[in-house]
Amino acid sequence: MAFDPSSLRHLFPILAQSAYDHPLTYLDNAATTQKPLPVLDAIQDYYRSFNANVHRGAHFLSDRATNRFEQARDTIASFINAPEQSHVIWTKGATEAINTVAFGLEHLLEKGDEILITSLEHHANLVPWQQLAFRTGARLRILPLTSNGEWEPEFSHYFTDRTRIFAATQISNAIGVSTPLQTMLDHAKQQGAFTLVDGAQAVAHYPIDVQILDCDFYIFSGHKMYGPTGIGVLYGKSHALEVLLPYQTGGEMVRHVSYQATEFNVLPYRLEAGTPHIEGVIGLAAACDFLNAQDRLALLAWEQSLAMHVYSRLHKEGGIEIYSPEKNTTLVSLSVPNIHILDLNAYLDSQGVAVRAGSHCAHPLMAQLGVAGTLRASFACYNTMEEANRFCDVLLEAIDLLNDE
Amino acid sequence: MTDSLGQQKPVNIKALLQACRSKEETFKALVTLSKTLPRLSAEKKTEENKVKGCESAVWLVVEESHGIRHFKADSDAKLMRGVLVAILSLVEGKMLADIQKMDLKAELAELNLSSYLTSSRTNGVLAILNKINTV
Repeated sequence: MAFDPSSLRHLFPILAQSAYDHPLTYLDNAATTQKPLPVLDAIQDYYRSFNANVHRGAHFLSDRATNRFEQARDTIASFINAPEQSHVIWTKGATEAINTVAFGLEHLLEKGDEILITSLEHHANLVPWQQLAFRTGARLRILPLTSNGEWEPEFSHYFTDRTRIFAATQISNAIGVSTPLQTMLDHAKQQGAFTLVDGAQAVAHYPIDVQILDCDFYIFSGHKMYGPTGIGVLYGKSHALEVLLPYQTGGEMVRHVSYQATEFNVLPYRLEAGTPHIEGVIGLAAACDFLNAQDRLALLAWEQSLAMHVYSRLHKEGGIEIYSPEKNTTLVSLSVPNIHILDLNAYLDSQGVAVRAGSHCAHPLMAQLGVAGTLRASFACYNTMEEANRFCDVLLEAIDLLNDE
Repeated sequence: MTDSLGQQKPVNIKALLQACRSKEETFKALVTLSKTLPRLSAEKKTEENKVKGCESAVWLVVEESHGIRHFKADSDAKLMRGVLVAILSLVEGKMLADIQKMDLKAELAELNLSSYLTSSRTNGVLAILNKINTV
């Protein structure tokens, strides 16, 4: 039986409102998802029932907070099938997770080493590596999509004996294309490179198993998977996390401090300086529980069917360029020649339809596609077929209104 | 907004925008206004004339003669061209000192354009007002 989004939509009270007298149609889920009641309740419950700083005070509330905080680490570890909970490091998001790795590996890089990324990367998985290359004299190399949006049949030559780091997104935030990750990771590992996978766009949709992926680092943010903002995860294999020099130092991450020296704490605390985002951690664990309680593959199939439906409707219309794949994606990214995406966006907004118009923090990819930006409708489990159709209807109205006579 | 002779018909910008009762009506009014904006030639669309801070490209040419300011503007986005028509209608042909005394934000809000005045990175109307106001 097909998945019915009404089975969980009531858990997202924010969606039951009007925008400019139209039903709110929220299709900007790749930017951030809405949060279900269990997440909202968990955050409020934390402040109402067990707010205290973690890992310090030996008192009733602190013990409760610390227990729940470390239980949350277990929840996230099993959510991505990490072998040990100490492999899960809290960060403020995907960006901080990548920066933690980029700064942490700096001491291992030499002039002439290569850092390889793909042409699909969000700026968050590009700029930290570019800046690392500037600091160390390493060379940033790009494994490109071809002009027709395919991967080259033979890309192993991008992986050389100088490749020290390979970082790739699992799914492009801008155009919804998946990377042939397993093959790429195999090539990278053959060259002995550290491997990092940006799962920011994947975790809300795909069950993740970091042991099957077998990458050194897997990173994601909470707010794109029904969790709160300001919390993210850096998963790493033991040896990979162990070699990272802490990029932030201070309280919590130390075992002993004197004026002469500091002995750092063990993992995961060594990489978590300062009081953590406790409510975020609690909320993120609730988001994992929410997802675990669903039939994940049914949700994925539903989200993909919405994107496929939009693709098939708009593909038939002349004059719409679609950059996302026809299948196996949960978003549709498009542009209309001679009509500015901000104009399309403004009309969609006036009808209560929320999408994203812009470069999606991927300027080099947009340059490769030959556009300044695209209009992106991205789906989550609570979106309905009516909403997918409404996006198409309103977009076509907008094109009519904006087409020059 | 051209008549049978191809002449520009004057549009009462203020009345048109103030009559808008919804975001959709404002959208449509701005599309109408956008058609009245004379487009800038390619050689005027220089980096120097570009207003920084707009997600759509906006060019604003400020000329002054005998203390009176004249403005020409263009954008690659249609709604922004409509907004430019509204903004320029407030300031065209005025002395700089008089423009500086105006509360342009308030005047645009009266034209139902306040949603274009948020300081989000998607619009650079504040940057445009800034350029209009400076010596």
